[in-house]
Parts: sequence; C-alpha cells; structure tokens
Amino acid sequence: MTEPTAPADAAPSASRPPLWRDVRILRVAFQVAVVAVIALVLGTLVGNVRANSERLGIPTGFEYLDNPAQFPIPDSDFRQAQPVRDAIGEGLGNTLRVVLLGIVVSTVLGVLVGIGRLSGNWLVRTAARIYVEILRNVPLLLLIYFSYFALALTTFPRVADAWEPLGLALFSNRGVVVPWVDGGIAPLVIGGVVAIGAAVGISRWRTAVADRTGAPAHTARYALPAMVLVLSVAWLVSGLGASIPERDGNRVTGGIRMSPEYFAIFFALVIYTASHIAEIVRGSIQAVDRGQGEAASALALSGSQRLRYVVLPQAFRIAVPPIGNQYLNLSKNSTLGAVVGYFELARVTAISVGNGAPAVPSYLLLLAIFLVLSLVLSFGVNVVNRRLALVER
Amino acid sequence: MRRLRGAAAILAAGVLVLGACTGDDDDDDAGDTTTTEAPADDGGGDTGTDTGGGTGGGDGDTLAAVQDAGVLRCGTRDELPGFAVLDSAGEHVGFDADFCRVIAAAVLGDAEAVEFVDLETADRFTALQAGDIDVLVRNTTWTATRDGAEGATFLQPNFYDGQGMMVAADAGFGSLEDLAGQVVCVAGGTTTEGNVATEFSRRGLEIPEVLPFDSPDLLQVAFQEGRCDGWSSDLSQLTGLRSAYPDGPDSLVIFPDAFSKEPLAPAVADGDSQWAQVVNWAVLATIQAEEFGLTSENVDQVLAETTDPNIRQFLGEAGEDAVLDPGLGLPTDFAYQVVSQVGSYAEIYDEHITPLGLERGLNSLWTDGGMLYAPPYR
Repeated sequence: MTEPTAPADAAPSASRPPLWRDVRILRVAFQVAVVAVIALVLGTLVGNVRANSERLGIPTGFEYLDNPAQFPIPDSDFRQAQPVRDAIGEGLGNTLRVVLLGIVVSTVLGVLVGIGRLSGNWLVRTAARIYVEILRNVPLLLLIYFSYFALALTTFPRVADAWEPLGLALFSNRGVVVPWVDGGIAPLVIGGVVAIGAAVGISRWRTAVADRTGAPAHTARYALPAMVLVLSVAWLVSGLGASIPERDGNRVTGGIRMSPEYFAIFFALVIYTASHIAEIVRGSIQAVDRGQGEAASALALSGSQRLRYVVLPQAFRIAVPPIGNQYLNLSKNSTLGAVVGYFELARVTAISVGNGAPAVPSYLLLLAIFLVLSLVLSFGVNVVNRRLALVER
Repeated sequence: MRRLRGAAAILAAGVLVLGACTGDDDDDDAGDTTTTEAPADDGGGDTGTDTGGGTGGGDGDTLAAVQDAGVLRCGTRDELPGFAVLDSAGEHVGFDADFCRVIAAAVLGDAEAVEFVDLETADRFTALQAGDIDVLVRNTTWTATRDGAEGATFLQPNFYDGQGMMVAADAGFGSLEDLAGQVVCVAGGTTTEGNVATEFSRRGLEIPEVLPFDSPDLLQVAFQEGRCDGWSSDLSQLTGLRSAYPDGPDSLVIFPDAFSKEPLAPAVADGDSQWAQVVNWAVLATIQAEEFGLTSENVDQVLAETTDPNIRQFLGEAGEDAVLDPGLGLPTDFAYQVVSQVGSYAEIYDEHITPLGLERGLNSLWTDGGMLYAPPYR
C-alpha cells in the first residue's frame, strides 16, 4: 500500500525509522486506506445501480424529464401532457410557497411566544408555556394529520353551506377563497417591491431627521401611508379590477383560494416550528446578562424600549444560528405535506415515479434540489448572522 | 518534501481505487456468466445485456431461486377489498392473493408457500426492480410505459377492468357530464389520475379538479367530509369500496359506463423470460380449468373418470400414455396442483369478486363472449 512512496523516503539519512514505523508515513497511509475504502464502496454502489438498471432496461439518464407527466396537479394550470420537468417546477413552487411564507410567519409567532414565556403577566406567561409544551412534544406528522382531517376537513363547513361573510369571502372545507385583484400578478409584485423600497427610504430619512433635530422619528406614521399609496397606485395601473368569489352549487369561481391541503401543512409546520423558535428566543433572552436589563431600567427606558433597544438585539445575536437550523428543519419537513395530498416536490417526484419516471435519477434530482435549497437558506442565515456579529466589534 | 509525499500518497490512492474498481467489475462479469448459464432461454434478448449482479429477480434464475427458497414472494396490497385484504385471522384474502397462491401451487406444489409483501402504490415497481418480490399481483394496469420504463414484464391479465366514477347518492349527479369542473378524488400514483382529465377533455367538458390520495382509507375520509364530489377508480375497486362503505352501499352510486381500459395483469422483472412463462402458464391454468369444467371439488373425480385426453394431459396424468412435459420448467402436474389447491378462475372469481356485486362481463370465458382465452396446452 505504501510502495509508491518508497523511493521518496529512501534518500534521506539512515537514522530514520523503518517505513512501517514512521509515524508520518503511517498517517498518510491510513488516510489513503480510508479514502480507498470509501471510494471502493461508492464505486460498487454506483456500479450496481448502473448494472441493475441496464439489465432491466431502466433509463439511468435524465431524458425522462422531457416525457409527458401524465398526471394533473391540483390548484395549478398544469396540464398532464406537459413534461415531467414542468411538474417538478410546479412542485418546487408549491414547496417554496410553504417554506418561505412558513419561515416568516413562524418567526413572528415564535418570537412573540418566546417573549410571552418571560412576560410578567401570569395569563400570557402560562398560555405561552402551555403552547410550547404541547406543540414541542407532539410528533409533527400527527399535527399534520390533525390539522387536515380534524381542522381543515371537519371544522370548516361543507361547501354547500359555506360561511360567506358579507358575500366577499368564502370559507368551506374545500378551501378559503378571498377577493383578489383581477389580471396579472406582475403589477402587484412590482408595486410591492416599490412600496417596501419607499418604506425603507422614508424610515431612513426620518431617522436622519430625528438624529439631526432631535424630533421624534415617527417612522411608521410616515412609511405606512406611503406603502398604502404606492400599492393603490399599482392597483390603479393594473386596471382596478377585483374578482370576488362566487358559489354556484359546489363550484366556486373567482377570488384567490387557499386549499385545505395547503392550510393543513402550512398551519401544522408553522405552529410546530414556532414552538421551537419560541424556546430558542426565550433561552437567548435569558442568556443576555441581567445587568443589561437593569441598566436599561436605570436609564428610565420603558418595558418595551428595554426589550427593543437593549435586550433583543443582544438576544438575537445568540438566537440566529439555532433559528437558522429551525428554518432548515421547516424546509425539510415540508415534504410531509405529501401525507395530506399537498403537491410539494417530494410528492410530485413520487407520483411521477409511479407514472413511469425512473426512480434513481428522480430521487437523486429531489435530493439535489433540497440540498441546494438548504444551502441557500443557510447562506442567508449566515449573512444575517455576520451582519449581527459585526455590531459587536 | 512533505508536499511531494502528499501528492505521491494521493496518486497511490488513485491507483488503488482504480485498480479496485476494475477488479470488481471483472469479478461481477465472471460471476454473472456462471449464474446465467443455467436457464436455456435467458432473457438476454429482451434487454440486450447480460451484465449486472446482485440478487435481483431478473438474473434469469428466478425459478431456481424460488424453488430453492421454497417460498414465493408475492407483492400485493392489504387495503383493496375483494382483491387483497387481511382478515381478522391475519390471512390474506382476495382475488390477487389467490393468484399468488396459484403461482405458488404451480411452482412449489404448495399454495400456502407464499410470502405476501404489502406494497404502496408508489413502491410496487421499485420492489420488483430491486428483486424484493418475485412477482407483482397487485391490481396493476398494464401500460406501455410500465412495460418499457419500469423494468417490468406484464403477463396474461387476470382481470379486465375499466375506470368508473362513484358519487354520493344524494348529491344530485346523474352522469359524468354533471361532474364537469367539480372535484374528483382518486388514488395517487396510478393511471387513474391521468384518465379523469383525459376523459373529460375527450368529451369536451371542463376538466374537474383531480385530488389524489395515497391511501384508500384517507380518501374515504375526505370523500365522506365532502372534500370531493366524485370518487374515481377502477370499477372493481369502486364496487369493493362501496360494499364496505360505512354509511351503507346504498348511499353511493356508481355510474355504469367505464371510460378506460384497465387490464390488470401480474408482472415480473424484465430479463427472465423463463420465469415470465412460468407465471403466465400458472395464471392460464385457472382459465383452462374453467373451460374444462374443473373445480377444486371435482378435479379428482373428473381425473378418475374422464376419457378426454386433453384433460388428462392438462392435469399431467396420462395413465399408460406418455406424460406431456412442455418444457416450461414446471412440474408436469402443476395444473392439477393449481386446481386442487386453489381452484379454477370461476371459483376464485365467485369467491372474492361476485360478493361485491360485480358481473363477470369481460372476465368471462371466450366461449361466453368474454376475454379469457388460454392458448392450447399441448
């Protein structure tokens, strides 16, 4: 095993120990052996997959992506004659709808509950504690089943006697339908981006003014109307159309719909992840030195000011990495949507495999997509982490 | 100096790995040629290759492997009333389960030498490809893509089915047209989900929203809660599910017209045509037995009394004449074992499918205007 290195070692002085007792060589040799064993195992596995696939005439490439999918996807314009590639795209979109929105909502909920755990108010403190203790100690799969069969399907009325407040929205166990703008979503997206930009700009300007003159910043008082104004203009530009849900027998047309399947997986993931985030937030707040809060009180800061300006900024520095882990968990747990018939990526993959796509490349692709998704998420968390850490100096 | 040594080490590792890999390939090939020599007509012609290893079901020696093991691994599903369910005694009962027993009786002479492997819809072909089962008898539709891309070889259909639609009796839907644009629940990962959209667009109707579920139990809960208007599946399954519906069969209506061809056939892994022939003839034996009027009750009596040489030959009992061995690799009395231990096609159908209220229809003998036609056994 060490033969190829022998000539290099032969030249130096004779005082060196023999090869089989030379620690430097043994170290290298050991690593070579480990790499060789791993490569051998991997090579055998890949070779077996290839050979078995070839023997059975199963394609090993990714040409299947161009075959027709042959299954429909609910809640989308996907036609079953479209290629598998498009089906996977739809699945990725559905996964992202759960993951991205889920991250935002579970963070807000988790932070609120985490702060609530330390509240001086007995009722708030106890409610937050019960929430965390129950949710954290229940299997997620059970929560998903519960929120689908017990909440989405059973608690909501049947579509025939749907709840229609003011005739504007429609709640039934076939989904929640609310009014939505007519026409494309593009003006709305552009409007939203502009509105956020305007809000950020205005709050910067107000902060600068406050720094210069000492007048109160009143950021929200200026930024929020600006956002509403920009969004209204965007809606005006798009034609001021609105589509109101209407029911005709069992059919509901118009508006924008959230399906019970989406509700079930989204709701379960959010309340589950939020319970973990709440514990992280609580722990991080408690990890901030008590003296910090006392010093803030000594400066006559109010309770909320103490949290906002002194305690939370330091707590978040501790909380960001573990919360990032929860985001990763949430994105991976989104595959459990399959059990209630939500068409996220893993389910689309499984169904396309059932309809003729080869299993090994299909699941490899699924793994690769989730790997990329997780890496992007952790990259985002790292960026935030680095920015927070910089403040410390 | 140190860097040089590191480079040398990496080089050595590379050489080692390469050597290991090629050596391994050689071993595989050598091992394979010895194992594939045994059967006379290996399926090499099907796939154009003989390489590969492992213990997969398609090595060309499945028959020998099953006979050595003394047990047939048969892929079924425990949740399909009429076709395969677990009864309270832990027995696998149903049409598909009995065809597993038919194959076991033919190959091993013992109808009970079956290991039932419960498979989800999405896992069934993977299990077959991986060699976890010897044969798949799981209500599976024979399609071109599955024949081609799933590495499966489909055999003589044991049930000719068609997809239908079921609705709640009080929902006010009279025909398929009424379901245009509504919501239809189906079993996921099957041909069913695609057929609904195909049928509605063929008729120029608005395509309903199709909602697939992995398990029939979950689908039933969703249907009961009013999540969907229609429930679409193969007519045989709908009939079975309707008969076991909690609110009673009368609360559901099945539209009479089928809108797809669903030949349900046993499947084996590609690349072993001998094993495929064995399974095929085991299934055909039940059909031939019905044509001869044989049943598990009367087979001994008929054998003792008959003068029909065809029947004697079929049952492998020739008296003074020579016994026919068609060279399938099966015992010469395999048909006798099938009929005496399990029964004819009619017996299996009457035991499991007739109680569901399903007419024979296409699944009658060709002499009665059906599709069941066994090639001559000679």
